Amino acid sequence: MPVLKHLLAVWLFLFATAGATAQEQPRVVAVNHPLQYFAERLLGDDADVVFPVPAGVDPSFWRPAIADISMIQSADLILLNGAGFATWVDRVSLPRSKLVNTTAAIEDQFIVTESITHSHGDGGEHSHEGLASYTWLDPALAIAQAEAVAVAITARDLASAEDVDARLAALRRDLEALDAETAGALAGVANIAIITTHPRYEYLARRYGLSVTALEWEAGATPDEAGLAALRAIIEDKGAQVLIWEAQPSAAAFDMTGALGLRNVVFPPLAHGVDGSSYIEAFADAVSALAGAGSE
Amino acid sequence: MTRAIALACACALAPSGAAAHQLTVFASVDCEAVLVEAKFSNGNAVQQGDVRVLDGQNTLMLTLPIGEDGTVAVPLDSVDHSGGLSIEVDTGSHDNYWIVTPDDIARNCQS
Repeated sequence: MPVLKHLLAVWLFLFATAGATAQEQPRVVAVNHPLQYFAERLLGDDADVVFPVPAGVDPSFWRPAIADISMIQSADLILLNGAGFATWVDRVSLPRSKLVNTTAAIEDQFIVTESITHSHGDGGEHSHEGLASYTWLDPALAIAQAEAVAVAITARDLASAEDVDARLAALRRDLEALDAETAGALAGVANIAIITTHPRYEYLARRYGLSVTALEWEAGATPDEAGLAALRAIIEDKGAQVLIWEAQPSAAAFDMTGALGLRNVVFPPLAHGVDGSSYIEAFADAVSALAGAGSE
Repeated sequence: MTRAIALACACALAPSGAAAHQLTVFASVDCEAVLVEAKFSNGNAVQQGDVRVLDGQNTLMLTLPIGEDGTVAVPLDSVDHSGGLSIEVDTGSHDNYWIVTPDDIARNCQS
């Protein structure tokens, strides 16, 4: 019996210790997959990194539940993308001491867009400026964001500065290699007019000199007649040869656009991760597909 | 043809969901009430609209008309706020929301 009591005491001690360790692990929340990836690379096993947006939901316009916000408020670090990405961050109270805007140092490189003119209240007809948000599709900007994440991790002592520096150096090398490979792969695409099904690729286009015209189709949706009419108009005007989809559409949709003479490419904008691939791998795969379509 | 291209370009330049973004909703909490404020992005207060109050399970508990100054107070004792509150403002043409967590209420009540 004393042996049993002793074993029980040991088990309780181990259980309690394990529970305490789990609770003590710092938690970092990221508003998109690239920031999640950078944080995971920079933290290793030193913290849990959470990207709370469910699969299939656009992280730009996710509406969190109250429980999601409670979880985020209690995180040790909250990584924001800035550039107007993740509208929910302006609809909740978040602790300022834990917030980091990872594009604060590169705001001078933002791409300004203009919204549709409309009217409301007594203000008359007007339009609102907006910002292109998918900054991480330019690896040079992604490096700046990774550096901001590294500074935030070190400042909050979530991992040792020595470890973070070494991990950042490796991450920077990988992103620089991605940038160089992308520049080489897309060099042959620069002279080709490209249409995208959604305005997600502004930073990619600017970085690599691509000629892109965007539609406003739902991700992966089969286009209706109005959508096809807009597509035909752009093809006629621009001589476009390649259509970039942000998500895999139906075979019927591919057939429709293929019949218009377009080569279809799926280039996920990576706000969500791609199953089985890291951010860098998925980016490289998409670039390879785009380069292939451009050379056909 | 030109109109179709112009429309496509206008859409291309528009941030997705732009029309839904031009109403700003803010809610502050004390021990007595949630004070809801709604403004258009040009600074004008909302003069007409509904304020919906939902609980932590996203169940609608209360609908109130917004005041002419773009504010309305939701007494805390009129709603079950134990799981937090979602505040939605809908003017008919624009809508937006603010989320109040149980911690927001506890923190502001203590201060």
